[in-house]
Amino acid sequence: MKKHFLLFALAALSACHPGYHLTNRTASRIGVDSLSAATDSSVANFLTPYRQGLNKTMNEVLARSTARIEKGQPEGPLNDLLTDALLKQATERYGKPIDCSHLNYGGIRNNLPEGNITTGSIFEVMPFDNQLIVLTMTGDMLRQMLNHFAKGDKLVIGGLRAKLHNGQLQSATFTNGRTLQPNETYTVVMSDYVANGGDEAGFLKNPIKSENINYLMRDALIDYFRQLGKTGQPINPVSDGRISIE
Amino acid sequence: MDALASNRRQFLKVFGTAAVIGSVAPDVLAYSGKSRATSLTILHTNDVHSRLDPFPMDGSRNAGKGGVARRATLIQKIRQEQVNGQPRHVLLFDAGDIFQGTPYFNIYKGEPEILAMNQLGYDAGTIGNHDFDGGIDNMVTQFGKARFPLLIANYDFKNTVLDGRTMPFKIFEKDGVRVGVFGLGIKPEGLIPRDAYKETKYLDPIEIGNDMGAKLRSDKKCDYVICLSHLGYKYNDATVSDNVLAAKTKQIDLIIGGHTHTFLDAPVAVNNLDGQPVWINQVGFAGINLGRIDLTFDRGKAVSSAGQSVEVK
Repeated sequence: MKKHFLLFALAALSACHPGYHLTNRTASRIGVDSLSAATDSSVANFLTPYRQGLNKTMNEVLARSTARIEKGQPEGPLNDLLTDALLKQATERYGKPIDCSHLNYGGIRNNLPEGNITTGSIFEVMPFDNQLIVLTMTGDMLRQMLNHFAKGDKLVIGGLRAKLHNGQLQSATFTNGRTLQPNETYTVVMSDYVANGGDEAGFLKNPIKSENINYLMRDALIDYFRQLGKTGQPINPVSDGRISIE
Repeated sequence: MDALASNRRQFLKVFGTAAVIGSVAPDVLAYSGKSRATSLTILHTNDVHSRLDPFPMDGSRNAGKGGVARRATLIQKIRQEQVNGQPRHVLLFDAGDIFQGTPYFNIYKGEPEILAMNQLGYDAGTIGNHDFDGGIDNMVTQFGKARFPLLIANYDFKNTVLDGRTMPFKIFEKDGVRVGVFGLGIKPEGLIPRDAYKETKYLDPIEIGNDMGAKLRSDKKCDYVICLSHLGYKYNDATVSDNVLAAKTKQIDLIIGGHTHTFLDAPVAVNNLDGQPVWINQVGFAGINLGRIDLTFDRGKAVSSAGQSVEVK
């Protein structure tokens, strides 16, 4: 009888998870590059047809640049170039003047290379399928927006020069000659992502007017760079000092 | 008193005694003689962002780095390493933002990313904010091609098409060691377009982290608990991050993080609510690095002579 109990107990014990405890842990970070590992041929073969399909669309040379075009904080040549491009293309599409353009800094996903700028380069800068939105807003709201993005030196704008102090807007001058007045109305082109409150910009949800001009930001950039390329002049990337810190 | 009740009482008495002995010297009771260590290697990536090919050789900082076909070779080599004459036990995880960042995603919507992860033998992944970029219907389509589960415990997809397509956690058993793995995602509001996440409900990561820790450790008897997190490494404000999660929870051993594209040279230890050091790791982005964590386990519970849990450095 006793033997029976013991067997029962042992059976129950072995069914129960005995448990393990950690006695040692070490870690390493392995760089993935041509030195650390050769290309695995079966994965490479798997990718080939995808890459071929991609290259057909992505290899069109749109324009040339004399140097790499890099984004930067509080300002960079790429910030200026992209916002100028969006302002020009959006104004043409909108058919009416737009006072300024805005890009969220985090939305610029890559820099542009020296030499050939291809459709693929623009896809890497702007991979998101974001639409351009023209918001009509009061000077009050525009000031709030400029302050919101000036915080953390992430103000990326076109058609406007801004002086900042401690992440706060000191003064703003429009290139079209207007000045920032609390009760006047302004048109601002931006991505639907930000217009819908993305990047913590929830205060933009109630503008005077919101118009989707049915133009993908990326398509606007591709159109702009293609036109630049047609002039035959390479891009010479510079920051024009539109954001100054006091 | 009937025989059954008597048996049960007798059993409990024997079992109770065994449990006491077990907590002091588990190897003596459960296994006669030698103790055997078990090794487990965790490999991980985060924020690969559709970077299937290495960065182009354009003179930029990351030129030539990354590439899924090279990562495949590295992982293969590690899987073939021998430990005590046995192939190494490996678990391979991703901490989210598989999608978005190269034209591959714009054209193919995530298919080659997922199929490549199948080929590399990923065991699980979690969901990053950019994995919503093709819309929630596309997540159903692409995740449907995955041979590994997407783990996410703090998104409630009940009123969306993703309902039932993800899992909160999964338990892996490697050479007897039970590893519980769960996923945590970042707050979608203000970060992901509403049109993309639709009626996905975001649940508090700290609360869910504690629930998952208790469930996996106590109910599911896991020896090691891993959180795949897309919360981000650390913020200047009170926003919940991997650092906050580690400090405000119990029963999580390792947080494999993402979102902030943080390049940690080595895992960072943060003490949890029990004063136990939780490891947090994150290896940058774009598949530039592969993270590797080697763990060794012994049978039984870790107890010091005073019966306290033993801290593992």
